[in-house]
Amino acid sequence: MSLIEVHDLEVHYPIRSGFWNRVTDEVLAVDGVSLSIEAGETYGLVGESGSGKSTTGKSIVGLEKPTHGQVIYKGKDITKSANRQKLDYNQDVQMIFQDSLSSLNPRKRIEDIIAEPLRNFGKLSKDEEKLRVLQLLDIVGLDADALYKYPHQFSGGQRQRIGVARAVATNPKLIVADEPVSALDLSVQAQVLNFMKKIQRDFNVSYLFISHDLGVVRHMCDNIAIMHRGRIVEMGTRDDIYNHPMHIYTRRLLSAIPETSVAHREEARAKREAVEKEFQENQQRYYDKDGKVLPLLDVTSTHKVALPADEVAKLQREAD
Amino acid sequence: MAQNDPLNKKSSISAEDLTRLSKEAEATATPSSRQIIWKEFKADKIALTSAIIVVGFILFVIIASFFIPAGSYKAVNIMDYFNKPFTPDFWLGADSSGRSVAKLLIVGSRNSIGIAIGLTLISGTFGIAYGLISGYFGGMTDMIMSRIYDFMLMLPTLMFIIVLVTIIQNYNAITLTLILSLFQWMGSSRLIRSRALAESRKDYVAASKTSGTSNFKIIFREIMPNISSLIIVEMTLAFAGNLGVETGLSFLGFGLPNGTPSLGTLIANATDPTNITQYWWTWLFAALEIIVLCLAVSYVGQALRRSADASQRLGDK
Ligand SMILES: Nc1ncnc2c1ncn2[C@@H]1O[C@H](COP(=O)(O)OP(=O)(O)O)[C@@H](O)[C@H]1O
Ligand SMILES: [Mg+2]
Repeated sequence: MSLIEVHDLEVHYPIRSGFWNRVTDEVLAVDGVSLSIEAGETYGLVGESGSGKSTTGKSIVGLEKPTHGQVIYKGKDITKSANRQKLDYNQDVQMIFQDSLSSLNPRKRIEDIIAEPLRNFGKLSKDEEKLRVLQLLDIVGLDADALYKYPHQFSGGQRQRIGVARAVATNPKLIVADEPVSALDLSVQAQVLNFMKKIQRDFNVSYLFISHDLGVVRHMCDNIAIMHRGRIVEMGTRDDIYNHPMHIYTRRLLSAIPETSVAHREEARAKREAVEKEFQENQQRYYDKDGKVLPLLDVTSTHKVALPADEVAKLQREAD
Repeated sequence: MAQNDPLNKKSSISAEDLTRLSKEAEATATPSSRQIIWKEFKADKIALTSAIIVVGFILFVIIASFFIPAGSYKAVNIMDYFNKPFTPDFWLGADSSGRSVAKLLIVGSRNSIGIAIGLTLISGTFGIAYGLISGYFGGMTDMIMSRIYDFMLMLPTLMFIIVLVTIIQNYNAITLTLILSLFQWMGSSRLIRSRALAESRKDYVAASKTSGTSNFKIIFREIMPNISSLIIVEMTLAFAGNLGVETGLSFLGFGLPNGTPSLGTLIANATDPTNITQYWWTWLFAALEIIVLCLAVSYVGQALRRSADASQRLGDK
């Protein structure tokens, strides 16, 4: 059984306008997302900015109330706050935020920040608590003198480590990491990703790893879902997505990964332009008449794609 | 969190290191906000002087008023009618009933400052809590609370106070403070609400929610400290303003009941043209006191605001 299952999740935000402030329209931030995360794996959720990744992640940790759908954990639907209370849900499911500065209360010392979940979920004595905070700091590679400092005294990479320390404080089963390295320098990105992997091995925690960049996700994720316009356009194993991409949007994201070797740069640019051209010209083949993403269909047992049924049948034959 | 917790295995830190590491951390700790405020006042001599004046004056009038029996400033004494100031018996002169202006000023200051402090605390606490709750929850809660706020703002406050004061027969300083508070809390609440609204959207609030912290604690322990500079400035300015509220009402004759001295009733002596020119001591000292107090309070407020905002501090240089 999966650790957590998301069924047909929808988050629609009302748009109010006019004199009476009535609801005149809706933003379909998330519009029917289903996925399941296994214990100990890293699940990638990738898409451009605005595709609804953060909203999906927030619904999974219980920060956002979905308008429709379920998130099943230990057999209970945790979109209901009563069920979250009963399970002490957030002891098991935590979040790391993109903006490390805004995610740490500027008025609190690091000790109090990291100890916050411990104080709410655990019953530790003062000394036990301090020891645990010191150990957590040690695990994420920070010295003990961080204890009484404030967030603004650290660099972005260090702050993100503090965010990770807070997230793993209660030994969670799943951490939703919302673009944890997007705001960091390239050199620091690799460091943070590496110690996130180390923590995963040590704690056997699952990640829902959100990113807008398929390049970053490559070495982290076992399974990946590609998200566009609030829906999933393609999902599969790492091999499925990187080596057999089927949806034009996936190919577009792949072509956007920066090419590091100078020799292939021109080639990569030409390919990117070709993909962009096809994306612009053949929209109606990949999306329905309202521009919505089509329903997901199985191509193989692991690989699903949002394409018309006849195309999927053709792809299935090719796959066999 | 059991004994076989992965942390104990993965981290090289164990219980034996606890005291040593805590000591190390304390040595490099960042100064607390109390230390920062103290440094800020040491760097700004005007603010320090102002703080000493305000605190000293408030303590003085409170203590001194205990030594002035009610009879001694209430009794009419025709013989001392408009006695000149700076004389041995009447340091600040006497008014038209021959009462010592110095004694009236001390007791009056205590009454006026007491009302201003009470008013600031009661209406400020309520207004801040109202704004924080409205901004934090947002949505429907915010909409209903904002409508109530708008309605209160629309009421002709002064008229209501005058009517209430006229209806309520036996009121004193405490009832007056409560009545005034009913109409004064809106002042800070709108600004606090908009800051709380912006603050609630920040990720640290989301992180507190996923850390299992209750809404009540998030509002008052997480968000409130982050807008403390705004609150401090609001409260100090409100205090300066509230000194004027009672004074103004008493000046108009709707403040404290007759015979209860206050800064307002003393300044009201200036409504008489002969008092303004010939018997200036009956009102000038009270007026000067209000000006000095308001100025000093606002200097203190500014220094507090700077210490709350790291980029403006003078004490760090
Ligand atoms: N609280 C909100 N109210 C209204 N619209 C929102 C809100 N939060 C997000 N949205 C909209 O929902 C869409 C998806 O947002 P988000 O989940 O943040 O995307 P991503 O994380 O993939 O960049 C965006 O168009 C965004 O403008
Ligand atoms: Mg996002």
